[in-house]
Formats: sequence, C-alpha cells, structure tokens
Amino acid sequence: MTTIATDLALQMERVSKIYSVGDAQVVALDHVDLTVDADEIIALVGPSGSGKTTLCSIAGGLLTPTDGSVIVGGQDISRYSPKQLTRFRRESVGFVFQTVNLVPFLTARENLLVVDEIGPRTGRRARDRADQLLDELGLTDRSSNLPAQLSGGERQRVAIGRALMNEPDLVLFDEPTSALDTQLGDQVVNLIRHEMKSRGTAAIIVTHDDRITHYADRVARIVDGRISDPGARDD
Amino acid sequence: MFLALREIRRAKTRFALLVAAVALLVFLILTQQALQNGLITSFVGAIKRQSAAVLVFAVDGQRTLQGSVITPALQKAIESAPGVAEAGRIGQGTFTVVVGDAAKSNAALIGYEKSQLGGPDRLSAGRMPAAAGEAVGSAGDFSLGDRVRVVGPGKAVELRVVGLTDNAQIQVSPTLFVAWPDYVAATRAFNPDAKTVPPSVIGVRPVPGVSAGALTTQINKTSGDADALTRDQAAEKAPGVAAVRNSFNLIFLLFALVVPLVTGLFFLIITLQKARALTLLRAIGAPAGVLVRSLLVQALIIIGGGIAIGTLLFFPLSQAKVGKLSLSFDPAAVLFWAALLLTLGLLSALVAARRVLAIDPVQATTGGGAR
Repeated sequence: MTTIATDLALQMERVSKIYSVGDAQVVALDHVDLTVDADEIIALVGPSGSGKTTLCSIAGGLLTPTDGSVIVGGQDISRYSPKQLTRFRRESVGFVFQTVNLVPFLTARENLLVVDEIGPRTGRRARDRADQLLDELGLTDRSSNLPAQLSGGERQRVAIGRALMNEPDLVLFDEPTSALDTQLGDQVVNLIRHEMKSRGTAAIIVTHDDRITHYADRVARIVDGRISDPGARDD
Repeated sequence: MFLALREIRRAKTRFALLVAAVALLVFLILTQQALQNGLITSFVGAIKRQSAAVLVFAVDGQRTLQGSVITPALQKAIESAPGVAEAGRIGQGTFTVVVGDAAKSNAALIGYEKSQLGGPDRLSAGRMPAAAGEAVGSAGDFSLGDRVRVVGPGKAVELRVVGLTDNAQIQVSPTLFVAWPDYVAATRAFNPDAKTVPPSVIGVRPVPGVSAGALTTQINKTSGDADALTRDQAAEKAPGVAAVRNSFNLIFLLFALVVPLVTGLFFLIITLQKARALTLLRAIGAPAGVLVRSLLVQALIIIGGGIAIGTLLFFPLSQAKVGKLSLSFDPAAVLFWAALLLTLGLLSALVAARRVLAIDPVQATTGGGAR
C-alpha cells in the first residue's frame, strides 16, 4: 500500500466504468476527472442513471474502475484487491447510504462501535470517540436505542456518526435526505456541513435535491457518465 | 463475538427456541441410545459380564445359551483343540424362584464350573461365592443377602446372594451366577428326572500367545459341531441383537440428519433476513471472515447450548428404570453425540456462510442484499 503526498481528499483521473450486460457493454462512467479538496463538500447532481452512484462507489472502494486512476487520501486504490478495498473502506472512507444505514440489532452506540469491532480493535479509544460523536450529534440520550426506536432524522444522524467513526479522509453521502421531510432534510444537511467543516473532512453528497446544493462548496453535474460541469469553487 | 452476541441478545426468543429444539433432539438421541444400550444389555449383558474369553456353542444352538447343548463328545473335542489352555462347563436356564417372601417370579441362572471361565468378571458389591448355595446377582434385581429359592417339582434349592454385578441380565431376566453344583441342583429342582445336566456352552481360555479370535478358528476347525465365538461376538451375534441395533441405527441416522437440517435452515433463514445488514457491514469494511466467524460462533453457542441442556435433561432419566430395562448415563455416548452434532451443525451453517461470502458490498448503494 503506497501513499502519495497530496492535499486532495479525492483525485479521479480519466476514470471509466464499463459493465458487460450480455453481449452489450454499458458505459457507466466515461473518462471522468474529478478532484475534491481536503475539506471540500461537493454536491454531485445529475439525472437517474447518469453515473452518480457508480462514481461514489468507485471513490469509496465499493467498485473498481475499468480504467483510470483513483487516489483517496493519498492512496491509489485503482488496482486494489478486494481485500485491500475492504480495509480501505474500513479505515479511510465513511458512507451514508440512501436506504439501509444501520444494523437493526445494534443500538445507536453499537452501530458506531461496530466500525471498531470489524477491524483491529482499539477498545476504550473507540468507546470514547463513539460517545463524543453521539454527544455532538445530540444523540447521547438515544445511544441505547435500537434503530427501530429512532426517528428518521435520528437514524440519519447515527449513520453520520458511524461514517465519522474511523476519522475518514472522505465521506460519501448517497441521497441523505431522500427519506426525510423538508425541515428534517435541511437540519440533516446543515449537520453534515457543520460536522464536515469542523473536522476538515471532505464529502461528496449525491443528490437530486436542489436545496442541498446550497450547503455544498461546489456543485458538480454528471450526465451520461461524464462530468458535464465540475463546478466552481467558492474561494 | 461482538456481532454474534449482540444479535443473540436482541433476538433472545428466536435463538432460545432453536436451543430448545436442539436440546430436545439431543435429549431424544441420548434417551434412544440409553434404551438401545439397556435393551442389548438386558438381552446379552451376562454374556459380556462372564469371564471366559471364548464361548463354544453347539452349532444347533443358534448361538443362544439356552438353545445350545454340549454333548460329552463335543466337550472332549473342544478341550483337545490346539490353543486351548483351559475349558470349563457353563450352563444357563430360566427357573421359577421365590426371592425372600415375594411371590414367584422367573430368574436366569448361569452355572459355571470354574469361576474364571463363566463367573462374573467383576463385582459392583459383595464377594464371589465361596460356598455351596452362594450366588452373585444382577445389580438392580437383587440385593446383598437376598434369599432366593429355586422351586419346582423336585427338591427346592436355597441360594443366598453374596455379590452383585452390573449389566449382567440375560433374556431381560434377573440373573444369578452360581457354581456348577448349584446349577445342577436347580436344574434337578425343575426337572427331577434329569439324569445328567449337560452344559450349554464351554468357556475356554487360550494358551499364551494365541488370541481369542485365533482360538475360535482352531476350535471350529477341530469340530464341525462346534461354534466358537469370542465373548464380544457371542454377545453381538446372539439372535435379535443385530436387529435391535439396526433399528436404532436407522433412528439415529434420522436424528443425525434432523439436527444439522434444523440448524442449517435456521441460519440460512436468518442470514437471508439480515442480508441488508450484512451487506451494509461489508460495505463499511467488515471482512467476510469476520461475518462468517460471527455466524459460526452463533452456531457453536446454539448447538453447544442445546447439547448441554439436552444432556442435563437426560441425566435424571438415565438413572431410572423403564420397565425391566435399566438405563444408564454413558459419558462416551454423550461425547460422541456432542462431537458429531457439533461437527454436523457447523457444517450445515456453512451453507449460510456461503451466502455471506457471496455478498457484494456494492449492493449497499441500492439497498439490496444477499440473494
């Protein structure tokens, strides 16, 4: 595992992803270039099937690119083996998925601690961090509740806490407000911005929701597997 | 362990029901095993308990002590067979007896000419007979000091139980080991007209350097009327023993299939039910090995718990008597079944483990899971 010195949280160069479907080949990403600064929040918008989720999956090590290079936090993960990618996901990125985000038989606190339990355990350090995150997310009094006992907003906050447990270089949010009403959606996005900025952590938020784009530093648009507009940084 | 134990804690009823199901099956298996052992011991326990390494039946005797009659000529042929160090007469019959002041009942008498060739090989209480009229009784049927009267049309024979021995019934009857003269007297009490009392079998000891198995071959070569068997063979080849064993083995086979089937299906179902959670865990970096280990830990806890509870339930039953059958707690049988069921249960959980290994973490992005 080699580390490349860079200030960027994500650097994707000419990344392609091609799926074989029967005899046909489907191009999900077509020579995509994208960079994300160390503490930058990017909103990735585009129509359904444009390649948003594929791009996020490659950046998060859930998929490998067919071509091109992907560097996350200084790690070139383009040719990582499945085992290396598993470790990379555990140690270097955070995920907040659109639908299933929490393990139903674990409490809110345990859903954070599971990040430590699935890797080399740090014990007390992890427990302290989980408690601190739950406190910051306003969930201390809900820490013993199972996901089924939490509201939609609380579940999203627990998922955000879980995504931050491993102190990632990059957090990937896939439609984080799709299951929330307008008010709750605003609160959650506000929280995401606050948490990312206070930690100096980069984030990509995949969304259809235009309201979210106001909270992002930059809005990148993707159409038919190509970044049509990488957006301008708010410098 | 973290995931395995947390899941069990949050779904106590579900896991407890499976532990109860496994415990019930283990209880049934151990009970059936004890019944089989008790049944076979009641049929032929005395044959295993007697001390002669080789028993020679008459071919016509169908390998039953009561059906076999050794003629003087056959006895001579056996005694002169190469490899025979020592031979002694053994007789067996079922008699009407009165134990103490109780009503008449039946008991089997095994008479031996030489105590080391037909007498009990070990006692659980008391001592070996030293004088006429003394007997060793099957434990559970007799007590030390019991007075037993063999009654019949002839002169009654008085016996006193001076020793007890375990697992020593024959033909599911209370059994007494007596010296040859007492056996002859008992036979005459039953049949006063009997001029001679022939032995049922001849107990034989091989010369040093000759195995019991080799000696049976020598004796069978010496006389076509002889059917020599080692002690274990005599017990196993007695009529009905093989049939009992085969019937129970079929039942055991079914049980051995049901336990892994139940546990395998259980884990497959819960793996499918929690497929989304497992996919999420894989997506956030849980190695497949961690999830499989968690599954196997659960299987181990459930099957181990079931075995422990099933064994605890069986223990008090094993101390009881079912009709004339004495059950017993056989640690070797418990260990055998525990090892077999654990192995089969863990193997069956591997089907669910394969599902876990097949999870593609990218499905977390679509909310999917293992299929």
